[in-house]
Amino acid sequence: MTSSTAISGVSALVVLIAVKLSHLQALVLFALVISVAFGFLGRRQPKERVKYILWTLLLFLLVGVGIGWAMYPFSH
Amino acid sequence: MAEETTVQEPLSPPQNARREALAFVVGVAGWLVPGLGHALLKMWGRALICFFTVGVFVWVGAGMRGNLFTSRGSDAFDSLGYIADLGTGGFYWVARSLEANGPDVSHADGDYGTRFLATAGVFNLLAALHAYEAARGRKA
Repeated sequence: MTSSTAISGVSALVVLIAVKLSHLQALVLFALVISVAFGFLGRRQPKERVKYILWTLLLFLLVGVGIGWAMYPFSH
Repeated sequence: MAEETTVQEPLSPPQNARREALAFVVGVAGWLVPGLGHALLKMWGRALICFFTVGVFVWVGAGMRGNLFTSRGSDAFDSLGYIADLGTGGFYWVARSLEANGPDVSHADGDYGTRFLATAGVFNLLAALHAYEAARGRKA
């Protein structure tokens, strides 16, 4: 493998993993993944897990958007 | 999905010491490879969730070019960030290899990436502690 081939391979990998998310998308992704993880770690019964996941997700989103609005006046 | 941890009977001191040692191994394994601690306890669902949660956060964090702290931090916050990042265990080196161009925190994306990477580490430490406690029979 030549060095230029290796460099292009690394570039392809970097392009492959490059992630471009808006603020809201990052918030939703974070809230969704961590809610599911907490649901599985914190609860054993499937029904309880679903309730816990939905409740945690809702709170993450509400608090995240709420804090965003609370900080809005300071951005100007 | 059978993920049961029964209430444990009181053990004799040698058995108790053996269980403590086993729990320690489970905890360390869970830290080194996210989900391995739960997998050793046959908690397959939790093992998969831990692995994919840490994996997704590391992938997104590195993809957003978040700051992956090193041991050569200049202040306390860098050191804390390093401890949080180290929490991902083996995924720390995965993140380093994914960030071929290094971090870029001049945009919001990079800042978010830094948080994703730190969250992955802290979550993995929490999961490893959970596996350790489950191995000791404390909770499940």
